[in-house]
Amino acid sequence: MKIALNRRSFLTASAAAATLPLMPRMAHAATPFAMQAAWINDAEFAGYFLAMDQGYYTAEGLDLTYLPGGPDVIPEATIVAGRADLALTTPDTTIKAIVDQGAKFKIIGAQYQKNPIGIVSLAKNPILTPADMVGKTIAVPPVNTISVEALLAMNGIDKASVNIVPYAYDPTPLIKGEIDASLDFTTNVPYTIKTMGEEAVSFLLYDFGYTIYNDTVVVTEETLAAKRKELVAWLRASRKGWDENNVDTTLWPPKWETTHFAGTGRTIDNEVFFNTAQLPLIANPAGVFAMTEEGIAANIEALSKVGITATREMFDTTLLEEI
Amino acid sequence: MAFRVRSIAPYLALLILWEVVGRLDLVAVGALPALSEIIARFWVDRADYPRHVLATLQASSAGFVIGNIIAVLAGVLFVLLPVTARMARGLNIAIFALPPIAIAPILALTLEGMTPRIVLAALGVYFVTMQATVTGLSQYDSRAADLVRAYGGGGRAVMRFVQIRGAIPAILSGFRVAAPNAVLGAILAEFGGGGRWGLGAYLLGSLGRGEPDRLWGIGLTATLIAGLSYALFAALSARMLGASRSVTLNPAAPPAPAAGGGVWIGVVSFLLPFALWWGLLLALNVPGMIGKTPVDVFAYLFLSEGSAAAQGKLLLALGETLPITALGLVAGLAFAFGLAVTSQLAPSFTRAFLPVALVTQTMPLVALTPLLVLILGRGSAVTLWITISVTFFPAYVMITQGLSQVPRSVLELPRAYGATVWRELRLVAIPASLPWVFAAIRTTVPRALLGVMIAEWLATGRGLGNLMNQSRGYMDFSMIWTVAVVSVLLSVAFYRIAQITEDRVLRRSGHP
Amino acid sequence: MTAPAGITLTGLCKTFAGQGGSVEALRDVSLNCPPGSFTALIGPSGCGKSTILRAALGLEPLDAGSVLIGGQAPAIATRAGITGVAFQDSALLPWRTVAQNVALPLEVLGRSLGPAQGRIRDLIALVGLKGREDALPGELSGGMRQRVAIARALVSEPRVLFLDEPFGALDQILRRQMNVELQRIWLETGVTTLLVTHGIDEAVFLADRIAIMQAGPGRIVEVLDSPFARPRLPSLFAAPEFHHLCDHIAGVLHGV
Repeated sequence: MKIALNRRSFLTASAAAATLPLMPRMAHAATPFAMQAAWINDAEFAGYFLAMDQGYYTAEGLDLTYLPGGPDVIPEATIVAGRADLALTTPDTTIKAIVDQGAKFKIIGAQYQKNPIGIVSLAKNPILTPADMVGKTIAVPPVNTISVEALLAMNGIDKASVNIVPYAYDPTPLIKGEIDASLDFTTNVPYTIKTMGEEAVSFLLYDFGYTIYNDTVVVTEETLAAKRKELVAWLRASRKGWDENNVDTTLWPPKWETTHFAGTGRTIDNEVFFNTAQLPLIANPAGVFAMTEEGIAANIEALSKVGITATREMFDTTLLEEI
Repeated sequence: MAFRVRSIAPYLALLILWEVVGRLDLVAVGALPALSEIIARFWVDRADYPRHVLATLQASSAGFVIGNIIAVLAGVLFVLLPVTARMARGLNIAIFALPPIAIAPILALTLEGMTPRIVLAALGVYFVTMQATVTGLSQYDSRAADLVRAYGGGGRAVMRFVQIRGAIPAILSGFRVAAPNAVLGAILAEFGGGGRWGLGAYLLGSLGRGEPDRLWGIGLTATLIAGLSYALFAALSARMLGASRSVTLNPAAPPAPAAGGGVWIGVVSFLLPFALWWGLLLALNVPGMIGKTPVDVFAYLFLSEGSAAAQGKLLLALGETLPITALGLVAGLAFAFGLAVTSQLAPSFTRAFLPVALVTQTMPLVALTPLLVLILGRGSAVTLWITISVTFFPAYVMITQGLSQVPRSVLELPRAYGATVWRELRLVAIPASLPWVFAAIRTTVPRALLGVMIAEWLATGRGLGNLMNQSRGYMDFSMIWTVAVVSVLLSVAFYRIAQITEDRVLRRSGHP
Repeated sequence: MTAPAGITLTGLCKTFAGQGGSVEALRDVSLNCPPGSFTALIGPSGCGKSTILRAALGLEPLDAGSVLIGGQAPAIATRAGITGVAFQDSALLPWRTVAQNVALPLEVLGRSLGPAQGRIRDLIALVGLKGREDALPGELSGGMRQRVAIARALVSEPRVLFLDEPFGALDQILRRQMNVELQRIWLETGVTTLLVTHGIDEAVFLADRIAIMQAGPGRIVEVLDSPFARPRLPSLFAAPEFHHLCDHIAGVLHGV
């Protein structure tokens, strides 16, 4: 490996090398543009992969660099550090950072109209409403404990009546009966449970009052001012990708077996399941990424229940209007 | 031939036992698959491996090369100008003691692309190689040096003709210990850092899928790479030495030239790590929101509005982490000591047991932890076991090394006078291995903390490891830095306490 | 070979400061070794004989007294390549071949190796190691390594040779062989030699003059001649007059 003295050029080179097969090589005049995803490559980001493969970003004049996420990656930090122009985030952390740390972020769109997070249980021991959680043991990732407690409060349930234990995204304890349910992506883990020989049921936190978006599209105010045109172009190309993906959710994941999904350790069947399950969570009559006034109000309301004071100014819907 | 069969028999028995246990799903309903199942799964996944392995090799070799170059140059500098060794002492201990888990998120925050992986790999090799270089350059043949001086040669001639070439075996044996560290460092950074390729990234994608055979496959592949890199340099250094050497760890403390040299050197030594931390933030131009300086962290903990809340969270986490770390450390050392003594009495048992122990050392903790969770659940037991498993082996190697340097006749003397085994231990084995027990404590403290924090992060959701994870989720950058700093300080403090106790006890008991 | 130079030690004093108080290693030691002579310095362990040799080479600073080698201070004499030295341990560099080890002093002195190749070969032959030029020290026996050290001591064409118990680690049989060989080499080169030893027979067999030391403080108590004609044959070890002289020295050493 050649180590250049200039850190930025070295890093850009290695980042480019890492994503080489993913990036359609640009002829000329395309503006470099980087996006930070929220997690490793899976169907959660299908629309972007499709737009890349179909050249929608190129057509919009963007030379897109796609950065996958991971447990140590804080998407908001990547845009603060200037390594990406745009990040997919969870709205609660983004807004908390704006409030607590004065971070200059704007939310310019939302991929998931409904947060896919929900309570997943086994069909043979179903938990279908918050009321069913009473007296049960629920595994919750530490970061989400506050959301679950808010859910219980909204539904008039004493949090002492539910046994919350830490959880690290592994369905094995659920299958083994050590826990009755877990908080997880309802678009993903039911598939794993099925491969392990059980049937899963779930309900979304969203459907019981915790009405927040997920994979919110976040930029810094600085980027918003400097790259408005590119951001609109990205939204347009990405929406085009999602629209095409959503026509037939089983069509595209198999095509990415040797590209975007190569070596992730996940199966294509899993991605197809994911892609299909997330369809109703992404869809909005106003188009993908839409943020309606009611939707924003619902987010502000839900976040206030977990002690996060969101305001309307944190959401900028004007770019969506320009698509 | 008969000898060969006998020497592999224990391993064969172990493999058969593994196969039976795995096939019958005896351990935690299939958490430990049979070796044949793991291999079969590996065959199914074979197309995935090459790029992941290649990425891990790239990052770890880059880190290995860079870390070693810096380490050798630093070692030469420390020997040529001992004052620099004294000034860099604080920095060296900090690098030695820093738990990789604590700084991986910091690196992911402040660096990009492959750099966090390379840096973590380089950090893993620096101390070992620097130490080996200093030892190699310092332990030259004084008679050969006298000879060079007898012909009017000065310090530089001695360095040129005697020290440098004489240090090569030591440096190579440093490389040998450092090589697996580079691999493990790279994998840890891959796991968290959000790249597509690398065994760590593969592991992350494979977690939570109810496929222990895949997890084992990745873990064993990582183990194999780490083990092969060790073997490569072991072979190389054996060639250079013209003789093979047993597994040894250097029990020496970081270069501690005689005290003195004034207070200001101590001050420099203390301040250097902080200066470097601050300087790197400036040099990398890290935005203030993400990159916290020493002053920021101090202000966050003691001066800010939320300082009381921050302190509360930190103390709560420390209250959970510290006892289990101490317990795991003591248990790991006791186990190591017991085994070291046993191995004097029953060498064949130890021979059969050691390969298993070696695997637990070279298997990445991020791979091992989810597997142990399947077996042990998410209670304190899993934390304790992980801590014991990471501390016991280096401690065992060191204590054995210590015991092996006690002449057999000395060990047997009390028995000749009819002493019981316990009395014999108390009279000879314990005092004789005391220096190595302390060396073992010093070297295993950072590992213990690493083990506990990884278990807390991936399994139990308690303590510092969890606080770090949670702070990441809440984007509480100040707390992320605070946890990193506190865990390094904790590690350094443990280290210093062990060292000071060591000095006191050894001086009193008449060790040189 | 250039003309041998003499060694003049005058009034050497040295005290080592240690934990249990200080040790007076040398008190007013004077010794004159004329050019071309072979002097043995003999005494019990710890009498300071090695300190004298190290001081003469400039490896040990003195509290008082002066050392002159061919009329020059040790630092100048050693740097000029006037001296050659062999220690009790051969101190060969394990990664260098026999020829490379022999060449080491030349490299330290900054002399070019090219013209010396023939001389290096000759010296290796002189110490009886012809054909082993490319062997590594690890492949040689203890006696062979000592002979390499002797060859190395001679490579800079020294006018003064310092030998610090060069055969101390060898067994009695090998040691006698080496004594015979050293005499042969000395006769061929005629270099002024100061041999530090604790072997009485070795001193009597090899030296023209024997300086006997006692410890506490280290001092020279008697200097006597070894009058036997050269070349001395191994049969000398069995001669009654040889034993007579040895017994006398033993008597002086034990303070009888």
